[in-house]
Amino acid sequence: MAAADHEGLINQKYALLPAFLQAKGLIRQHVSSFNHFISSDLLKIIRAKGNERVTCDADPNFYLRYTNIYVGRPSLEEDYIQTELTPNQCRLRDQTYSAPISVDVEYTRGKEVVIRKGKNNSGAIVIGRMPIMLRSDRCVLTGKSEEELARVGECPLDPGGYFIVRGTEKVILIQEQLSKNRIIIDTDSHGGIVASVTSSTHERKSKTNIVTKHGRLLLKHNAFTEDVNIMIVMRAMGVESDEEVLQLVGTEGAFANLLIPTLQHCKEEGVYTRQQALDYLASKVKSTSRPGGPRGGPGGAFQRRTRSKVDEAREILANVVLCHVPVVHFDYQQKITYIAVMIRRMLYAMLDPSFIDDRDYYGNKRLELAGGLLALLFEDLFKRLNADLKRQADSSLSKANRATQFDIAKCIRTDTITFGLEHAISSGNWTIKRFRMERKGVTQVLSRLSFISAVGMMTRITSQFEKTRKVSGPRALQPSQWGMLCPADTPEGESCGLVKNLALMTHVTTDEEEGPIARLAHIMGVEPATLVNQSELREQGCALVFLNGNILGVHRRPKYFVRSFREMRRRGKLGEFVSVYLQHDTVQIASDGGRVCRPLIICDRGVPRVTEEHLQLLREGKWTFNTFLRNGLLEYLDVNEENNSLVALYESNCAPRTTHLEIEPFTIMGVVAGLIPFPHHNQSPRNTYQCAMGKQAMGNVAFNQLNRMDTLLYLLCYPQRPLLTTKTIELVGFDRLGAGQNATVAVMSYSGYDIEDAIVMNRASLDRGFGRCIVLRKYGTSLKKYANRTQDRIVLPAAAAAPNPAQRPAKFRLLDRDGIAAAGEVLTQGEVLVNKQMPTNTRDPVTNPAAMPDAFYRNAPVSWKGYSGGEKCVVDKVLLTSNDDCSCVVKVLVRHTRRPELGDKFSSRHGQKGVVGSIWSQSDMPFTERGLVPDLIMNPHGFPSRMTVGKMIELLGSKAAVCTGRFHYGTAFGEPAGLADTVDKISKELVESGFSYSGKDFLHSGITGEALEAYIFMGPVYYQKLKHMVLDKMHARARGPRVVLTRQPTEGRSRDGGLRLGEMERDCLIGYGASMLLLERLMISSDQFEVQVCTHCGLMGYYDAKQRRAVCPSTKSSEHMATLKVPYAAKLLFQELSSMNIVPKLVLAEA
Amino acid sequence: MAGRGGSLKREPQVELRKLDDDYCEFVLKNTDASMANALRRVILVEVPTIAVELVEFEANTTVLNDEFIAHRLGLVPLVSSRVHEMKSIYEAADDDDFLDVQLSLDVKCTSDDTISVTSKDLQLDPAYPDIHPVGYHDPCDRGILLVKMRRGQELKLRAVARKGTAKDHAKWMPVATCVFQYMPEITINHALMDTLTDEQKEEWCDADPRKTFKLNKLTHRVEVTNPELYMYDGEVIAKAEEMGKPGLVTIKQKQDTFIFRVEGTGVLRLEDIVLTACEVLARKIRNLQAALEEEATLFDQGGAAPMQM
Repeated sequence: MAAADHEGLINQKYALLPAFLQAKGLIRQHVSSFNHFISSDLLKIIRAKGNERVTCDADPNFYLRYTNIYVGRPSLEEDYIQTELTPNQCRLRDQTYSAPISVDVEYTRGKEVVIRKGKNNSGAIVIGRMPIMLRSDRCVLTGKSEEELARVGECPLDPGGYFIVRGTEKVILIQEQLSKNRIIIDTDSHGGIVASVTSSTHERKSKTNIVTKHGRLLLKHNAFTEDVNIMIVMRAMGVESDEEVLQLVGTEGAFANLLIPTLQHCKEEGVYTRQQALDYLASKVKSTSRPGGPRGGPGGAFQRRTRSKVDEAREILANVVLCHVPVVHFDYQQKITYIAVMIRRMLYAMLDPSFIDDRDYYGNKRLELAGGLLALLFEDLFKRLNADLKRQADSSLSKANRATQFDIAKCIRTDTITFGLEHAISSGNWTIKRFRMERKGVTQVLSRLSFISAVGMMTRITSQFEKTRKVSGPRALQPSQWGMLCPADTPEGESCGLVKNLALMTHVTTDEEEGPIARLAHIMGVEPATLVNQSELREQGCALVFLNGNILGVHRRPKYFVRSFREMRRRGKLGEFVSVYLQHDTVQIASDGGRVCRPLIICDRGVPRVTEEHLQLLREGKWTFNTFLRNGLLEYLDVNEENNSLVALYESNCAPRTTHLEIEPFTIMGVVAGLIPFPHHNQSPRNTYQCAMGKQAMGNVAFNQLNRMDTLLYLLCYPQRPLLTTKTIELVGFDRLGAGQNATVAVMSYSGYDIEDAIVMNRASLDRGFGRCIVLRKYGTSLKKYANRTQDRIVLPAAAAAPNPAQRPAKFRLLDRDGIAAAGEVLTQGEVLVNKQMPTNTRDPVTNPAAMPDAFYRNAPVSWKGYSGGEKCVVDKVLLTSNDDCSCVVKVLVRHTRRPELGDKFSSRHGQKGVVGSIWSQSDMPFTERGLVPDLIMNPHGFPSRMTVGKMIELLGSKAAVCTGRFHYGTAFGEPAGLADTVDKISKELVESGFSYSGKDFLHSGITGEALEAYIFMGPVYYQKLKHMVLDKMHARARGPRVVLTRQPTEGRSRDGGLRLGEMERDCLIGYGASMLLLERLMISSDQFEVQVCTHCGLMGYYDAKQRRAVCPSTKSSEHMATLKVPYAAKLLFQELSSMNIVPKLVLAEA
Repeated sequence: MAGRGGSLKREPQVELRKLDDDYCEFVLKNTDASMANALRRVILVEVPTIAVELVEFEANTTVLNDEFIAHRLGLVPLVSSRVHEMKSIYEAADDDDFLDVQLSLDVKCTSDDTISVTSKDLQLDPAYPDIHPVGYHDPCDRGILLVKMRRGQELKLRAVARKGTAKDHAKWMPVATCVFQYMPEITINHALMDTLTDEQKEEWCDADPRKTFKLNKLTHRVEVTNPELYMYDGEVIAKAEEMGKPGLVTIKQKQDTFIFRVEGTGVLRLEDIVLTACEVLARKIRNLQAALEEEATLFDQGGAAPMQM
């Protein structure tokens, strides 16, 4: 390898990357978030103030208290036998991969207190079932070896990180949002400065803005009817003198001037004292509703108003405005300081616009993962469960004399939580009542088109931004996304730049306990802000220290503090994901979840801490990635802290001020972009196109692909490993689950069937299996049970059992004696796969539901939808099982093997797609005198405008790989580190093998045998077969079905619809003047209808078939009737109009 | 070309250079590219061989599905020395004509290890034991892998092999590859070459990836080692131009001499393939001749004969 001639660390530090992925897995962010939810969020939720106890209005002594919560292992109880669930079993049986949630409780039963505790890491009472993320701590697959995984029918390369709900694999996509509890300085539409904070606590979410209007600073909040002067707010919180305000904000030169209009306005309003301010605010409080109030919802009419308006205002200031800043016993000191900081930052921004924050800066973003979303949902459902319990307790305890003692433990229903979670994940609708959150499309079905599409889906990030907005900011690639998000992998079109993908080494943090961090900070010299004189807050060299957006205190030597705080983290005294950084004149400590971060090598004065010895230990297996972290050689940096450091790309770039060194430059790309060889030689949009197409490529889905029963599965018959690989391919496992084939490509114009990106293919190659694929489609049904104890059934119809085979109806030909198609049978159009019958009566009681006569059932067969011409489909296998509801499930897999045909779509790995333009015999293809014949011919015009130089290098490299027998590498930015072969070396290898250094060959025409005048660039290129195939799309119709309502032809291929002559086509015909053609297309061939019209009254009549005459609807005579041809839709319109009391009259004239 | 002095009639000549079991090289002289190309195309696509065409499955519990195995079986090369006795399905045939060869396969895995089912597991047609997969009786040959099996899996099928040509499917292709090359004609301009130093000459010789040219250290002359090595890659010409000496060498393709290289698969002997190809070609010409003669007689009889398309 080229690595040998590079010196120093540079070529070996790559070894850290496999170690990282081995330790963390490809989709660590999902799994760690879910694990955090299970291990700590759940407990926090049941211990939260509002959730811990269930009390009752009727009996003050009654309570139910949750003491602990457990989530077990995925298991299933069937017929009182507990069995372990495996994911593949759930997929096949349409079950949910879930584990029981159990709790320990303490409650009163009559006079006694019952304490119930479970054993063996499980609680006493099951309250529901939690869908389990695959490969999380609770999953049965975790920690299993490849062999053990094979035994439970699971693919070892499958990344996990998704859920299986009712048999479908669902991914909770990563959601991007603006960070909570942080001050963001922005400009409004008038150019005024705005400071906004989205506060979020367990109980409440609220948004607080301070806006500028006419030079005044005003507080804008939902709780007030209008914007109120911020000075009045501060007065109401207890800052009565103007001087105090100024001291809090800062006494620097221009600040006082900028505050004058605000202070003056305060005076004009006559607010001098705290009481006056409160009175003023009380008049501005929205009286009808108090958004986000503790009781929730609009203040009900029945709620007695006990508090005065002033009290209400005071409460709003304490608990609603900036609710994340704690106010204990109406001591507003912290909140006052916080508002002062907001004002200070606004004033800074007014003086110097460079202090305005960038909303799109990635340090201001937080990613919400499965764990966080599930926690929100679970808390909501848990509250609902408790509300239910309270209601039951209320109703039964209020009754005077009860037969049995009320035992609340018996009232706990598991359905609320089980179905709530299941339904949310399977529908993707996240409805959280207490935050009035209603999000749609949170989950998606895991795409199993290819292995890469599944992995790519796990790294996807969607943002809450509206797709329709025409701003470019959120869509643009932000410099701060470097190394965190893949610069290439984003869809084209409306969601371009809004849907992103994580880079290879990105980690997303989970919430970390604040207490210990705060304590440590105080030990290290952070003085609580409340203990310091206000003037000292702003002293030269001092800095406010924030922890997760809240003021922690002041430190007098902030730089020293930051440095030593980082050293503590490197020593392992702090969580590895806690970040510290200086922002303006403040120190920010962040330990909240959802920050993106990545590992980097620490440098001391430009000398990397990782040395050759360490890497030697790693290679020997003595060290793991975590050892590097523990020993303070590597650390995670989030976007904000990265902004405080100087990161060198290569060791040679290290200067004395360098603080960190990148591990490998190619990790800025994501998983999907990592498949592209030499992406750094391509025009950037080409890499983006390939990222979209790589997900449509056919190949191997997983090692268990033949044991799956997916709705649609595309498999390639002979997938290959690319001759030109990248390091990412090896890390991800694409070399074991490939999606493409190495085709010998000749870049030439041959025949003209290759123009406009078409591809000419070698028929012999297709005969030998190139591009051959298997399409598997599932047809399934389940047998339902009905209320009257009847149930669906599957039978062989009597007609199909006729002794004489000639008498049996053709559509039942496939059926076995059990009424289900036999495996291995070849299908023809409309044949029945499962002969299901449903009872006609499912409501009224039936005497003997087990033995009903045949007449009682009507047919509801599952039949094959497909054309028999061309497609030769076979029943692959049949699965009979039962699902969670214990109803019988039948799944029939239909298989079809296809070879490439004219119009099938292929693509290389460089965003160069093309359809098959022609298929030629091998004898017609050009050949070299070595006997080399191309598999496909690509037109050279595909190169100049696309500038996919990477593809050319891939061709060269693959050719050299074939010659030397060594897989070549094309890792992104890999040449300096020896992770990519250089063109120089490749050319040398080619020459050594007797080829031209340029990769060009001397070819002869296969048709004439003459030598071609030009040298042809020829060699292997990895080609992907994309899922778009002619067979699934081709469609034509002469006559066919019509829509009932309008009698126009149906629409769409699935309904055998007509091809629409649209408006623009119509315009062309009008412009051309082809009126008869128009008439023919739009009426005669569509919905022509004959109507009888009375020439006198202008109304449409009808034709009386008995009397054989047309009748006028008003006079009932047939004297003045005329026959007219109109589109049926027009007739329908007239009738609809008359049904609305509008009389359309037709005035006829002789044509 | 005709009329370039001498007689118009040329006698194509064949000079056999090498003939192995799987490789054959011969030189075809005194003929046109059209002739050579016709021969190449016929060898590739119109020489009949035997291959599995129809597979009936009785049991298949392997991981590969029926079509998959059928496709793999089709690509197994069968020794086709008796192909001339057979008739293809497109020819008129009687009951006693030789059309089908019945092969069968019946393997069941009973061991704990995975086993490989190869072309050697095929059971031959007792009537035609000499029609068998290539390497069937060779103890060194491991056979062609069809499918792998684990314990309890079974594969039982009947395969019908038939005569066919590669026009229908590449499985009937008798050769791995068949190509020809024009004989290069290399003339070195020694006068110009002598203006170069030895180092320059060496450098020039090294420019050719195939090493067609060699500097004779004794005579200080550049010599052509073997003109056939030359691949028409134009490197030396480009090099000469780069060195400022265009016209150092002129390389032409001899338009009437072709070096044929045929690589076999073991299905047929290579000489048989070439001879059969010649025969097919001759038959085509005979057919054309017969048709022309018929046309001519019609033309003579009725004046303007209707054109038959």
